[in-house]
Amino acid sequence: MSVAYREGIPALEQVHDEGGRSLGWWGMMFFIASEALIFANLIAAYLYLEIRQGGHGWRLPSEIWYPLINTIILLGSSAPIHYIAARGIEKGNQRRLIWGLLATIVMGAIFLGGQVYEYSSLISEGFTPQSQLFGSAFFTLTGFHGLHVTVGLIFLLIVFVRALNGHFTKERHFAFQAGEMYWHFVDAVWIFVFSIVYLLPLLRG
Amino acid sequence: MATSTIVERPALVRQKRFSETYIGQWLTTTDHKKIGIMYMVTAFFFFVVGGLEALLIRTQLALPDGKVLDPQTYNEIFTMHGTTMIFLFVMPMFTGLGNYVVPLMIGARDMAFPRLNAFGYWIVLFGGLFLQSSFLFHAAPDGGWFAYAPLTECGVQGVNCIPATPSINMDFWALGVLLLGISSIAGALNFVVTIFKLRAPGMTINRMPLFVWMTLVTSFLLLFALPSLTAASGLLLLDRHLGTHFYQAAFNGDPLLWQHLFWSFGHPEVYILILPAFGIVSEVLPVFSRKPIFGYTFVAWSGVAIGFLSFTVWAHHMFAVGLPVVAQAFFATSTTLIAIPTAVKIFNWLATLYGGKLSFKTPMLFALGFVAMFLIGGLNGVALAIVPFDYQVTDSYFVIAHLHYVLFGGAVFAIFAAIFYWFPKMTGRLLNERLGQIQFWLMLIGVNVTFFPMHILGLLGMPRRIYTYAPDLGWNELNLLETVGAFIIAAAILVFLFNFVTSLRQGQPAGSDPWDAFTLEWDTASPPEPYNFKTIPVVRSRRPFYDKKNPETADWKVAVH
Repeated sequence: MSVAYREGIPALEQVHDEGGRSLGWWGMMFFIASEALIFANLIAAYLYLEIRQGGHGWRLPSEIWYPLINTIILLGSSAPIHYIAARGIEKGNQRRLIWGLLATIVMGAIFLGGQVYEYSSLISEGFTPQSQLFGSAFFTLTGFHGLHVTVGLIFLLIVFVRALNGHFTKERHFAFQAGEMYWHFVDAVWIFVFSIVYLLPLLRG
Repeated sequence: MATSTIVERPALVRQKRFSETYIGQWLTTTDHKKIGIMYMVTAFFFFVVGGLEALLIRTQLALPDGKVLDPQTYNEIFTMHGTTMIFLFVMPMFTGLGNYVVPLMIGARDMAFPRLNAFGYWIVLFGGLFLQSSFLFHAAPDGGWFAYAPLTECGVQGVNCIPATPSINMDFWALGVLLLGISSIAGALNFVVTIFKLRAPGMTINRMPLFVWMTLVTSFLLLFALPSLTAASGLLLLDRHLGTHFYQAAFNGDPLLWQHLFWSFGHPEVYILILPAFGIVSEVLPVFSRKPIFGYTFVAWSGVAIGFLSFTVWAHHMFAVGLPVVAQAFFATSTTLIAIPTAVKIFNWLATLYGGKLSFKTPMLFALGFVAMFLIGGLNGVALAIVPFDYQVTDSYFVIAHLHYVLFGGAVFAIFAAIFYWFPKMTGRLLNERLGQIQFWLMLIGVNVTFFPMHILGLLGMPRRIYTYAPDLGWNELNLLETVGAFIIAAAILVFLFNFVTSLRQGQPAGSDPWDAFTLEWDTASPPEPYNFKTIPVVRSRRPFYDKKNPETADWKVAVH
């Protein structure tokens, strides 16, 4: 690339870009699609094992209210990053970017803390990854999601620090956009995980 | 002292930066052509490693009661042979070829994400070295390249172990394929975005060279199939180290879950290994027949059809485990269906040859060899889709014959067609034609002598993966013959290595277009400048470079596209 610049030859995107989404946006979309399929495989494995065990529904020994509130917090966390931060930086508003990010990060952290609390109370009741097959499947699926929340939080924290240093402008803020896409994905996939793990046994009665 | 040296140095001469030295240029490059070459050289290195492993296997099996390898070492060698050839040779070789050729073919300056591209390469290199390093610890993977649970369940924690001694062998495998998966995902999404977004003006989807088409389909297969392998080996690692019970029947887990997850990756993977080969052959045959490809649309879309169907056939690897009858019928049907788009391609290639002015240069020979060998592999593959027949020969040498006709007679022949075809573009010199012909005939004879008898051995009941056999089973002569064939193949590879090294220095200069070719990569210098094209070409047909050279018979004068 540097050679191309030196000889006055237009760079990659200037030549080819026909408008529309950026290369990075497309790259991120395909990355997320591939990640979503890992979740799809784990959910398929979860359902396969549950059905093979009789399909009576795997019920956690705990109440559903706590995870439900946690879910609302996580899904809610997609709002500030989109309606405050993204809308802000599109107009060049740094303050809205920073505050929107901060709100999302705090809500994500609350969700993660809630998951740690839920895990510890389940384990203290003797429900562990080793205790039974359901435990293996439950901790793997929700834990894999928790891992994604953690990665998403690290992603957003880096973006947050960069935002504090004024790295993003109205025109150039792809790192933020990628972080937002990833966070929405982490939220959306939780709807599926929550439905399978917590709601399905209720349906089965 | 220090200050005086600085003063004495002439003002304009500065120390070369590391990235400007010869080594540094390669180590820090983000140029798709350099990365492509590094991929291919690395892949070829692992091809030699996997080939030596194959020779060990054949030497052990040459005579009954062989004593060359002990049973444990034999398990490690055949596991690493399969793993190396699939994950470290064919996949990176096609990624490397695509890296080099695809941006040139579509008139782009580079891949969409050059740094991600470099990242993918370095992961392959270190992932490959990580896998091979297991030999140094006497802990090479030993559970077969598809690592069936519960055989592979026994981790160092020793949780619910079936074998007596827990070991880390399969951890190398599971972590290795996870690493290589990351690299493949990075490469695949890079190809998809490059092909969708960076095509030159006028290079519509329906004018893309067929190699680009097949790389696109392959990339989608990687994006959507690898997650199954990631999930499968992730769960395996959890079972081995955290004491979960996914694959353990004693705890209500299910070993079949592994087979379902693995093969729902594994069968699309088979097409990941062969679709780029289809692409290569679809480029080489027309150029050496002096005709456009016959039925471009069918060749392209049959590749897409194969891509879709490849996700619906995985359980044909599992007929012997006792699936429900309905499932067996479904998977037998879908497997037979996939032969249709494949046959469409074969007939289109034959029609491309028909009436052409054929020139039997080495790339053409390998492409023709591909068609013939792949046809055999395809036909005995359809035979394996017949459930009762599969019961009879599953896990026998018949299956080994099938997969080697497809992967060696298929993928490897196409890879050599590609090397002989594009070597002049990459180096500016031609490979020696006479040595190429010798290599081709040695390989064609070697492949058939090695792999054809395996059909018969399979029908005679010789199971795969046995480390030796008794002398009174009637398998002796054919096994010896196979070993002779394996060494003929090795001789062919030695001829190639000699040809490669000598041609690199003394080969006949190629010029920019030695084959009077059709596609854009030949419209650049050999090797091309780092920026590929000084001005981005404008494309008006499926054979842009050929039509530029022959404007009076250009495609746009005779056809609408």
